[in-house]
Amino acid sequence: MKTGIQSWLDERFGLSIITKFLKEKTVPQHKHSIWYYTGSAILLFFTIQIITGFMLVFYYKPTPEGANESVARIMTEVPLGWIIRSVHSWSASFMIAFVFIHLLSPWLSKSYRKPRELTWMSGVFLLVFSLLSGFTGYLLPWDDLSLSATKVGTDIPRSIPLVGVWVTKFLRGGEDVTGDTLTRFFGFHVSIIPVFMFILLAVHIYLIQKQGMSLPLSAEAKKEKVREIPFWPNFVYREMIVWLLLLGILFSLAIFFPPSLEKAAELMAPAPEGIKPEWYFLFLFQTLKIFPAKIFFLPGDTLAVLLILLAGILFFSLPLIDNKPAERKGKIITIIALVLIVYAVVMTVWSLL
Amino acid sequence: MSLRRKKFLGTFLLISFFLSFFILEYNFAQQVTQEEQEEATQAKEGQEKIIPSPQNIKESTGIYVFVAWMWIAIFVLIYILKLKIREVDRLLKLRFLSATKK
Repeated sequence: MKTGIQSWLDERFGLSIITKFLKEKTVPQHKHSIWYYTGSAILLFFTIQIITGFMLVFYYKPTPEGANESVARIMTEVPLGWIIRSVHSWSASFMIAFVFIHLLSPWLSKSYRKPRELTWMSGVFLLVFSLLSGFTGYLLPWDDLSLSATKVGTDIPRSIPLVGVWVTKFLRGGEDVTGDTLTRFFGFHVSIIPVFMFILLAVHIYLIQKQGMSLPLSAEAKKEKVREIPFWPNFVYREMIVWLLLLGILFSLAIFFPPSLEKAAELMAPAPEGIKPEWYFLFLFQTLKIFPAKIFFLPGDTLAVLLILLAGILFFSLPLIDNKPAERKGKIITIIALVLIVYAVVMTVWSLL
Repeated sequence: MSLRRKKFLGTFLLISFFLSFFILEYNFAQQVTQEEQEEATQAKEGQEKIIPSPQNIKESTGIYVFVAWMWIAIFVLIYILKLKIREVDRLLKLRFLSATKK
């Protein structure tokens, strides 16, 4: 039975269409159902990012003179500022980790097969924008480490033939990393990237609702009717348990392991030792490191960047390449996927050692 | 446990959960004396790297109280949610709730 407020809102917004949809929506239950919870976890961390980002932006100053000082002020003077910054930083890591996990499931279970090609592609774009958000956010404290890491990071595209130099200049807002880069990265981080992420999220969620939740290839091959539960309330209650646990872990880590802040960056100072990017770039960083200076007639870094780009394009086009997932070709692609996952883990661990 | 008791317990824990934020903030904003603040400022100026951590026993206590309350609230809410899940699954089994595909 509807309450007064519900009726009032329904008359104006037509909310009954949404509630009707939620009541009719179902979620398949099988041994791989756990993957279905990763999507809402990403939404949870994205929301936390937005909320804590709003709080931080009240105090942050995106200038070379004020950036480091304002972050130091957030951490030492603003009430609960260090926790807010820590939650923002940890939730970014959690979000990216869950985007990786969320992409792993359709990759291994072949859920990107027809008609869900665009769902996969929008998901890959979301991963790219999440990584860009992490990369641009890393410079904002404007300390020695973030400045040097950004110099290295923005120098990588330079190796791409034809457009490389232009991309580097565009990212830096000039020849080198300066105050202009900071302003530019701040703009990317707080407005451009979130807007694109909102659009992509809307498209991604719409596509999932339109196509319904996919079944793994193994479950579909059995041709038995898979048990389904209503999205509301049965699935949402289960999701709430996952959210609560994730929130608990996030806050505990943010409180006990807050990120530190180095001294303010000096543009002319030499790069400190042991520069490393955030954990989600380590496998790429290590790949670039192990490439020799020259392979045949090509510079090693150019070849490495081109190979990484090619891998990215192939990853994006997977639904088009893996068009017969149940056959031999599909099985070979699964083996390649597993090898690449092991490679990424090994490279990350190697980089940390 | 009756529904009314559960609601009461849930509300109480939620309020405690949010109140612990204020306990934490109170320690930060009010309890640190002028002397301690000056010492902290001097130390901050001298060091090159800022590692956020509790500055005194009051702050550490506030943090531990908050974390403890947070986990207690989480486990109680999970318990309530598990009861709710059992209830809605039973209703589904009795075909009270439909699981028809849209």
